[in-house]
Amino acid sequence: MNTRNTGRRGTGTAVTMTLGIAALASLAATYAVGLSLPRTYEQGDYSKLIAIHPGIAWASYVAFGVTALASALWLWPRTRSLAWDLLAGASAEVGVLFTALTLITGSIWGRPTWGAWWVWDARLTLSALELMLLLGYLALRRVPADSEVRARRSALAALLAVLVVPVNHYAVQWWRTLHQGGSLSLTPKDALDGKFIFAMVLGFLAMTLVYAWLTVHRFRVAQLEEDLVDDDLDAALEARRREAVTA
Amino acid sequence: MTYVWAGYGITLAVLAAYAGWVVHRGRSLK
Repeated sequence: MNTRNTGRRGTGTAVTMTLGIAALASLAATYAVGLSLPRTYEQGDYSKLIAIHPGIAWASYVAFGVTALASALWLWPRTRSLAWDLLAGASAEVGVLFTALTLITGSIWGRPTWGAWWVWDARLTLSALELMLLLGYLALRRVPADSEVRARRSALAALLAVLVVPVNHYAVQWWRTLHQGGSLSLTPKDALDGKFIFAMVLGFLAMTLVYAWLTVHRFRVAQLEEDLVDDDLDAALEARRREAVTA
Repeated sequence: MTYVWAGYGITLAVLAAYAGWVVHRGRSLK
């Protein structure tokens, strides 16, 4: 992977345009299907949130996973490239967005159904921890350092932080939580109606595509920023050389 | 429906705001 974006034409290409259209179309479909879901006996209108909340949470897991995978690829000597470090950073930043939205939409769903905006339940607490870990990871990336030093310590931090994702995923099975179990793994007796499963799966697709589109653009922004730093460094070195010649 | 609209609305607003910032940032670095 080359970090240089020689074209310098912003962050859009035909591929990202296609990805963007697919993301927008699937998001629009998710909203249309989700908002037209019928009221349920247990939750009334609030069950319509099933179209967005699980998909957003899934996208936050994907973001964490991509950050960890890109970090591992940077650490592996054969695949080491600055691009993997930039991708890890881009994915983590988008991950903050989706993790924060997971907490927000979860609280909005919890208030009318549980009677509380927040409870220190294992799933909610671990989701909040994920957000803190991602913010900490991004803060670590901003500590001034050589790009290789930054990449190494960020990669190690990401690989440690990602361990919370499987724990969070299985939290609803390992501990007694207020949060419900996995919607797609309920026993047939408790299985969701087909319309709700369809809306939820559509939400998974839409949020994954939105995540991908945002991450590709954020990655390219990071490449352009890196090129600017290189250009500034080259200009500064050139200025010093000229000073040395004229002195 | 207030909570439902809030959930859908905040999600759309946050995603749109970030997408707008990323695209703007990319263009400003041309």
